[in-house]
Amino acid sequence: MSVQPQMPAVWRTETKPHKFCPGCGHPLVLKALGEAITELGIQEKAMLGCDIGCSLLAWDLFNLDSVQTHHGRTVPIMVGIKRAKPEVITIAYMGDGGGYAIGSQHLVNTAMRNDRVTVILVNNIQYAMTGGQMAPTTLPGQKTETSPYGRDVEATGNPAQGPEMVAAITSEGAYVARGTVADVRQLKRFIKKALENQIAGRGFSFVEALSLCPTNWATNAKETWRMVEEEMPRFFKVGELKVPGEKKEG
Amino acid sequence: MTDKPIQGEQRVFMTGNEAVAWAALAAGAQIMYGYPITPQNEIMHYWTRLAPMYGRKFLQTEDEISAGFTTIGGVLAGVKAFTGSAGPGNTLMQEPMSMAEMMRLPTVMVVTQRGGPSTATVIYSQQEVTMTCYGGNGEGFRIVYSTSGQQDLFDYTIKAFNTAWKYRFPTFVLGDGYQAKMREPFVIYDPELRGIEMVKAEPYMGNPGTPGIDRDPAHLRNTYNMEDELLEAVRQIGAAYEKISPEVVEYEQFETGDAKVLLVAHGIVSRAAQGAVKVLRQQGYQVGHFRPITLRPFPGVELKAAADKARHVLLIESSYGQFKKLVTDGIYGCTTPILSYLKPGEGITVEEIVAEAKKLF
Amino acid sequence: MPAGEVANIYPAKEQRVVEAYVGEYASGKSEVAINRALFLAAKGRQVTIADLDLVEPFYTLRPIKKVLEAKGLKVIAWDATKATGLGEAGTVILPEARWVLRNPGDIILDIGYGVKGARSLNLLHGYQEVKELRVYAVANISRPVTGTEERIVEYIKSLGRVDGLINNTHLGDDTDVGTVQRGAAVVSDAAARLGLPVIFTSVEEKLAPAVGRIDERGNPVFVLRRYMPGAFW
Repeated sequence: MSVQPQMPAVWRTETKPHKFCPGCGHPLVLKALGEAITELGIQEKAMLGCDIGCSLLAWDLFNLDSVQTHHGRTVPIMVGIKRAKPEVITIAYMGDGGGYAIGSQHLVNTAMRNDRVTVILVNNIQYAMTGGQMAPTTLPGQKTETSPYGRDVEATGNPAQGPEMVAAITSEGAYVARGTVADVRQLKRFIKKALENQIAGRGFSFVEALSLCPTNWATNAKETWRMVEEEMPRFFKVGELKVPGEKKEG
Repeated sequence: MTDKPIQGEQRVFMTGNEAVAWAALAAGAQIMYGYPITPQNEIMHYWTRLAPMYGRKFLQTEDEISAGFTTIGGVLAGVKAFTGSAGPGNTLMQEPMSMAEMMRLPTVMVVTQRGGPSTATVIYSQQEVTMTCYGGNGEGFRIVYSTSGQQDLFDYTIKAFNTAWKYRFPTFVLGDGYQAKMREPFVIYDPELRGIEMVKAEPYMGNPGTPGIDRDPAHLRNTYNMEDELLEAVRQIGAAYEKISPEVVEYEQFETGDAKVLLVAHGIVSRAAQGAVKVLRQQGYQVGHFRPITLRPFPGVELKAAADKARHVLLIESSYGQFKKLVTDGIYGCTTPILSYLKPGEGITVEEIVAEAKKLF
Repeated sequence: MPAGEVANIYPAKEQRVVEAYVGEYASGKSEVAINRALFLAAKGRQVTIADLDLVEPFYTLRPIKKVLEAKGLKVIAWDATKATGLGEAGTVILPEARWVLRNPGDIILDIGYGVKGARSLNLLHGYQEVKELRVYAVANISRPVTGTEERIVEYIKSLGRVDGLINNTHLGDDTDVGTVQRGAAVVSDAAARLGLPVIFTSVEEKLAPAVGRIDERGNPVFVLRRYMPGAFW
């Protein structure tokens, strides 16, 4: 007897198995995203943009019109689509490097403009696809290929607080949250609210998801979960940061 | 901590990326600014590991635009600074490199060409020739060395710093992903022990003394008001560039004296062309090879002289004609027919070149 | 170690071989791992080789997967045509790699370079229960970072668990007997300081007869054929 996992309707079976590493957090985030899209009934008008990096592996994951972009340029491409065709639901999917380093100026300006796009940013605290270089979100003392002696916060600053920055500069009507793959139900709630925010045309929506990368962390299952459940929340607070008009969760 | 990174000479076994990192150390580079992009990441990986041992510095910037401008900053401060990139990263570098061109700043940039356009492949190509030589909104007042392997990467990275600081033009070492990853034995050395004149860096800003009191302030700009101001400025840069070109230009010739077919190629494809000349000569074919080493300034006069003598020119590159444009521009007036073997993004073997050359006999 | 009697090189039939090759970038890990796997397979043993290179995008054993399979190895690695991209690096782990230690027979692990060192073993389910596991660090003294006894000792210490050293000192086509023996001396001294055995000295097949069956420090010589250049171009 085989048990088939329940996948959201928007899951494309022809492109499975996907290429994400075993233990990767992306499939968890993407499943939550897929379920949100299915439950909101927006499969027909949702479009996905993915960045360079591990997020790139999502380009043929869904039965959704998707485009792989240049590094850090997913946000402006989705903004371009949305401005041309406002009835479409645009989702920009990227990692912490694409979002907070090379893509940061676009993120900042899109947030300031309160563009009606949804950004989902997967944070695994390093540049994974290229072999594990330091990222803006890398933790203090963390060893990466470009911080081989450990991240020196005196020289390179502290882990980037993305949602906090976005919440501070965006306008009323925007939705900003940080979820985690350690609580996928909550993450899915945040993603759904983010998409609903775009559907209602209220403003910009942004969800960061604390995620896993055992491959580059070189951690076994237990240590991987400890990282995302205990270590990362010390630097990245999970919860909603900005909710249009309503009370915040977390 | 400030020991020389290379004592004397050593025969080593390394990849091209590592050769660049060691050469930069040997050349006295004080700081590298960079951003991750395949296939040049090991330049950063090695620099970050070795730099602290020799008192050098590193900054991983937020992107390549920043890497280029921070490199400019390092140079303005009077320090030997360098960066590296490839593909889409090189595209972003064109904005800062245009500024370096206008202001004649001695930036050093290593390019490990990968497939193009756009993201393409992370592996190899010769498709960044146009961009590296003439990118941005400039006139190509740049010095570009096209290397053909590890020893070249080591030699020309050191040379790039000296060339840049001596002649004050943005200088590029144009390699590719194969060279970056290939492993070969070659020799690393302390350049001073080989009698290489190591040019000193000097600050553009922050010289001793109070500006306006002890010395004139440095007022640097890259903008002009009217057309005639710009015309004058660009003509001056052009004149300076043309004046130093004969000293800077480099090329190699292999059995071109009596060649009926002249193979023209650069970079790693030149290695295959050199191999092809050996094979063909052994089989009795009169084939020669002209290898431009500097793509900017281009050895057009010398290449035309070689091409004039041949019956055919066979031009070979891993691009759709980027090198060809430099060649046809450089040898304008030459009536020898040019045939091209163009393989964008893919390596070219000795066998392929031999087969193509034989067709011309 | 007495020549030829290193149990690991010539394992008894019933003794399972599980070896992980770690070391500096371009030290020769993949080449040694491939040759070791083929050596065992040639003795009629069932051998699985797994690619665990998580930093280097294309100079890995992935491009020569089919060549190695044709020689009787089970290869756990992404097909280079499927994972060198979609345009960026493609350093992902094949899911089967996580469970590689469950494969019957011998297992050879090619662990890439990087700050993770031997900690990449954490990615393999159950590695701590595999009693036969040995982690061998490959060193080539023609590479400055591992060019002297001090540097080797420092480097090996940064890797995490290491059970033995392998002298893979060479200069490509320029290698001569002296190169190999100098490497043998330096690596053996470093090994002694670390309290680790030298498992073998690897020598390319054309040069091996000139070196002999043991190197000048009594380490056994393991003969290598070059396969990795096929991973390129």
